[in-house]
Parts: sequence; structure tokens; C-alpha cells
Amino acid sequence: MRRMILCAAIVTIGLIVSSGNVLAHHAFSSEFDANRHVVFTGTVSKMMWVNPHAWIYVDVKKADGTTEEWMVEAGTPNTLLRRGFTKASLQAGTVIKVDGYQSKDGSLRANGRDLTLPDGRTLFLGNAEGGGAEGAPGAPK
Amino acid sequence: MNWRWLSSIVLAAAVAIVMSSALVAQAAKSNTKAPAKAAAPAGAAEKAWTVKKTPWGDPDLQGVWNDATSTPLQRPAGKGETVTGTEANLFEEQLANDLSRDRRDGGPEVDVNRAYNEHWMDARRLKITNDRRTSLIVDPPDGRLPPTVPISAERQKIRAERQAAGNRFQAGMPNIATEMSLPIRCIIRTDSPPYLPTIYNNDFQIYQSPGYVVIQPEMIHSARIIPLDGRPHIGKSLKQWLGDTRGHFEGNTLVLETTNFRNDDTVYQGANPETYKITERFTRVAEDSINYEFTIEDPTTWTKPWTAIVPWNKIDPKEQMYEYMCHEDNFDIVHLLSGARAREKNPSLNLTKPQTQR
Amino acid sequence: MRSRFWRVVTPLGFAVVIAGVWLSPIVGQQRGQQAPAAPRAAAPAATGFPAYRAPRLNGHPDLNGVWQAFVTANIDLEDHEAQAGPYTELIGEYSGWPPGQSIVEGGVIPYKPEALAKKRQNAANRIKADVSNDKTWHNLGDPEMKCYMPGVPRATYMPYPFQIVQGSSPYLLMAYEYASTTRTIRMDWKQEAPTDTWMGWSIGRWEGETLVVDVTGQREETWFDRGGNYHSDMLHVVERYTPLSPYHMQYEATIEDPKVFTRPWKISFPLYRRMEKNVQLLEYKCVPFTEELLYGKFKKGAS
Repeated sequence: MRRMILCAAIVTIGLIVSSGNVLAHHAFSSEFDANRHVVFTGTVSKMMWVNPHAWIYVDVKKADGTTEEWMVEAGTPNTLLRRGFTKASLQAGTVIKVDGYQSKDGSLRANGRDLTLPDGRTLFLGNAEGGGAEGAPGAPK
Repeated sequence: MNWRWLSSIVLAAAVAIVMSSALVAQAAKSNTKAPAKAAAPAGAAEKAWTVKKTPWGDPDLQGVWNDATSTPLQRPAGKGETVTGTEANLFEEQLANDLSRDRRDGGPEVDVNRAYNEHWMDARRLKITNDRRTSLIVDPPDGRLPPTVPISAERQKIRAERQAAGNRFQAGMPNIATEMSLPIRCIIRTDSPPYLPTIYNNDFQIYQSPGYVVIQPEMIHSARIIPLDGRPHIGKSLKQWLGDTRGHFEGNTLVLETTNFRNDDTVYQGANPETYKITERFTRVAEDSINYEFTIEDPTTWTKPWTAIVPWNKIDPKEQMYEYMCHEDNFDIVHLLSGARAREKNPSLNLTKPQTQR
Repeated sequence: MRSRFWRVVTPLGFAVVIAGVWLSPIVGQQRGQQAPAAPRAAAPAATGFPAYRAPRLNGHPDLNGVWQAFVTANIDLEDHEAQAGPYTELIGEYSGWPPGQSIVEGGVIPYKPEALAKKRQNAANRIKADVSNDKTWHNLGDPEMKCYMPGVPRATYMPYPFQIVQGSSPYLLMAYEYASTTRTIRMDWKQEAPTDTWMGWSIGRWEGETLVVDVTGQREETWFDRGGNYHSDMLHVVERYTPLSPYHMQYEATIEDPKVFTRPWKISFPLYRRMEKNVQLLEYKCVPFTEELLYGKFKKGAS
């Protein structure tokens, strides 16, 4: 067992090293603060399906009745597009729960470590309903 | 009307038509695409698979390909060249668990770096190659990078500066946009050869036209346009991040040679663009598979050349490659820099409690 | 005509002519095995050029090559005089912008009256940029100045070459030297744009001698030119690429956006084949030219 774990650890390192220039250089802890774990529920006002990160705008009602707008950083949308999700997949007005880490500069920004719907389902897990999972999404013939 | 005269015209015409059609049909046969035979299952007895040709006669590499794998570049200590099927299954299960970003154990320091749930990543990266190799490197035979050569003082200085900038970045305190890495600045990402697997968007689209092959990596949307006509490289003083590539087919293998790399953290692992040489080979080995092989040599960085093979798997038409805009919405740069400036002004910004909890 | 010589030559001559006529569809077909020979209809002679039928590749007009526009539409789609660009007091003629004639049919873009104000505002703010707030990141400045991908049709008339790569797969590639921009044309494709992108979602089809490309799903932040001409997220562009000779191609684009314009409008101009020996696109990765502009005020030690 220990050998397997060592193996996996080396693989993880190997993955990072083998990427050469790439994404290993993005340590999320350089942008988000491990000491500032946030959990909140709010209403999606829009989602930007952009790279390098998708962004979800979430309106959060505070205890005093005022609303603050959070920006939640997500992953690369291209992975979701390949599973049949589209810009219509997360509509404005959807309530979501965000569990993440707030940005180091203290602004209303967090990474979307774990995004769920009120019923507990993970956002964007699996394939889009009726989406591109079966057969070619748009090939001719 | 002289019928004899007319009939001799008709006869001559008929003969000419028949003969020329036969000649054309003969030429057509040699251009006809060989029927694609079913791809042999891995490890099965050799059933020669014939690569299809494009209408102009080049081996057909067109399509969208994915190179994700968990096979590491270098062989882990104590491993042989391949693992058995059982070892592979066990390894993949363990790996899926180890790398899973759905895990919430390990404390906040580990958790924040896991960033997002697993489904934002390329699930194919959890699989080792079909041939169950323990490293992508196939030469040297030990599956590891060759020993390095002592580098010049100047290169050491540059590496030290890059390391220092990297440390500042990791600490969340970058000085300036231009000291961040080329991927973070959205200049190049996986489009710089050698092509190596990463955590997502491991996709490449290949286009071909008479006299050209074009490889378009997903990140960052660039097109590597490769002439096959034997023209010389561009002038030595023209340096490019993706270099300048020339290609030709050796049998069914596309062979690429690339020169003219810029000297600013462009080439692999801080090698020396002046002495760096990369040769890449693409061979379609099955309907849904290309073998991508590359050899890197740089006598001022490694003691000998080294070669790796990364399998590419076809994913279209079911899956597509999508636009990877990067610089256009690269908010991270501002977040990272303004975060650093805010904390320079007020070091106590690292609170132990979050400001908001709802 | 009764001499022995002519009795041999004439039938032979007829034979050659007849065989040649017979053969040419077959030879044409060798380059493209699937489609039958295209109809003989030639391109409309837009500028008095003799009607032209491009060589075939895989049954379709072969548009492969390196192409470039020579209009100054990137400065302004409409008529524009020579003008001082930014900072001529520092760099003189280096910042002079040349004059040019409108490529818009009818001369003028048909803005809705209330939409014209935004065009003027764009022009007034074209060399400003402020990325300090994510939500207003794109509000100011010509996206070209920021080295953002230009969208369609602007990419076609930027003063840089682009290459069309046309083969035998369902995809055609257009690769632009500017900012290493690319876009995939999906031929006869059924999927719609899954999301908005800077270069949009392009679906192509052949209409005789013309490649028709239908572009939707473009990011609303792109401009048509440095003059601030713009559109909304309802932009719909239909392009037509028609070879006119071995050396040039007619480009037409119909632009439709009911939020901004009173009716669809059209631009057109020729694209020229770059004829230099061994011509190729070089790397124009302009991101480094914008980092001080965009991020300079966040660097260590900035005032």
C-alpha cells in the first residue's frame, strides 16, 4: 500500500513537472486565503463562460437585509462544454451554495471549491441533461 | 457525306476516350483511400492497420485528439517498464482517490489548492496509457531524464531570478505582471512543444491541406502551421515562442523539426534555445489513435538526448475543441497583483476568521 | 481536304478534342473523390473580371492560401480622412492614420439613433483602459488596443495576413497572424454555439463557388474598428468568400443586429493572395505590448 501511495505521489509530482511551463504555476493559495474559508448561499445573477476561469456572480443577502455581490471563480468551462453543458445551463435566479476560500485582498471574491444546489446535488456534475452525451453533438449526417 | 471519313473520326475518338479513361482509372487506383481496417486491440496479434490517406495522398491525421494520461514523464523508482493489468487497475483506483479534488481532508492549506471539484478536470488524465508503460520517456531505457550538464553562470542567474519570481508568486506577492509565468500571462500554455499532458483541455485539432499540416492546441488557440514543401526555416534572427516548424512524411510518419525559439523561458525546462533541438513524430496507429513521439537534445543542458511517446486519442465528432480565450478575461493577473499591493500596505490582512459567513 | 495528310490528322484532331472534353470532369474528380463535379457556373464578375472557376479540392473550390485585405477598414469602416492617432506630439507620423473609403454598402452604417451615442462614446474612450474592477473590465478602450481577439468580420480586414486551411475533414481553419487568433469553421454542422466566444461560432456551407459562413455567439465586447463601431450580443454575421481569380477573392459580410441597427447592412472588399515565395504567417503575439497599459498601475512601486 505504501508503495502505491509513493507511486501516486510521484505521479502527481510527475504530472506537474511534465507539464513544463504550465498550470503547476497556478497555486490557488497565492490568490485565495486558506484562513478565510467562506460558506454562503445566494442567487446566481450571471455566469461568464470564459477562460482561464469561469466566473459566477452570486447575490448574497446579508443578515441586515442588504445584498452583496460575490464573484465566484470556477474552473475552465471547456471541460463542461464537452459534456454538453452550455451557457443556458446555469440560469440567472438559480440558488446555489458556495463553499470556498475568500481572496487575499479581502474583496468579495472566492473560489468555487464546492458548488451545490439546494437539494445537495453538485453543480455541473455528470453530463448535461439531453446534451451532447449521446452521439455527435453537431456533426453532419 | 463521306461515311468512311466520318466513321474513322468516330472510331479514333472512341479509342482515345477508352484509352485515356483507362489511364485515368489507373492513376485513380493509386490515389484511392485504402479501406480502414478495424484497429487491432492492444496486445492482439499483429493485424496490419492501414492508415487512410487524404485525397492528395498524405496520411490522414485530421481530427480532434486528446493526450491526457496519468502515466508520468519519468519512471517511478523501483518500477519496471510496464505494469500488469491488475497493477494498472489498482494504480488507477489509488490515483483517482489521491488526485480527487472532491476530497476535503488535509486541512485548508491543501484544500484551497485543490481549487475546484474533480469534474472540472479532464477525467482521462486518471488513466495510464493502453500499453501500461510506467513512464512516457522511452529513452534512456531507465525511463528517466538524462543527467544534466552544469550550466553557465549566466543561465544560473536567470534560473535563480525565475525561481525567486516563482517564490513570490507562490506567496501571493508578485511584483509585476511580466515576472509571472508565460501561462499565467496567457502568452503560451500547452501549445509550446513538446506537447505534454496536463490537468485539463488536453486537446489538439489537426487540419491538413495539400502541402501543409496544422496543429492547433486548445490552449492558447494558436495554429502551428507546418509547411511540407521543404522550404528553409525563417531567418535565424526571427525568434518565436512556438519556434518555426518544418515537416515531412517518412512513410506514414509526420516528422517535425523546429528551430527559432525565443530565449525567455520558452523551451522545455529552461533548456538553451541556442543548442536545443526537438524532433517530433506523429504516426496514426489506429482509427482512433496517434502515437506522438518526441526527441529532445540539448548538449548544454542534458548529457544525452531523450525520447518520450504520448498516445493521442481521437475524441471528435462526439467531443469538440472550444475557443480558449485567455488574455481577454484574465482577471487573475489583477487579483494577484492588487492582492499583493493590499497586503504590502496592510500585512494584517491575513485574518484568521473570514469576514463573511452566511 | 482529301489529301492523305488531312484524312489522318482530322480524325485524330477530333479524337483529341472529344477525349479532352470527356476527360476533364474525370480529372477534376480525382482531386475530390466524393462529390460529383461541381456545376460549371462561374463566380459573378463583380469587378469586370472574367468569370472564374477555382480549382477543386475534395469537390469544392480550393480556398487554401495566405490572404490579406488592403483596405483601411480597421481604422474605420466608413469614409475616413487622414488623422492624427494617439500621441503624435511624441512620435509624429508614426502615429498618423491613413485615409480610406467606406467598405459599407450605402456608405453609412444604419445605427438606431439612440445607439449612435454609444459609438461616439466608444471612439472618445478608445485609448483608455481600466481593469481595476472585474465587472467593468471591458467598459473602456478598443479591444484591439488590448490585444484581444477581434471577432468577425474585423479579423478579416485587420492589416495582417491570415491563412485558410481547407482539407478533407468537416472542419476548415482560419488562422490569423494577429494575436495568433484562430477560428474553426464547422461545415454543415448542427450544433449551435454553446457559449459566446471572441471569434464566435462559425458554421460553413458551400453555395457553388462561394464559401458561406454563418457566425453567431460572438462576445458583445468586440468592435468593428478603431472608430468605435460596435454591436450587441445579438450580432449575426453571414460571410461569403468567392474566388475571383487565382490571386484574389471577393469577401462580403452581411451584419445583422436588431438591438443596434435599423436593418442588416453589408460590407465588401477583395482579399488578395500573398504571393511572396515561401510566405508564411509569423508570430504577432501582442500581449506583452499591453501589460504595462493594463497592469502597470498594480505593479510594486506604482504610485
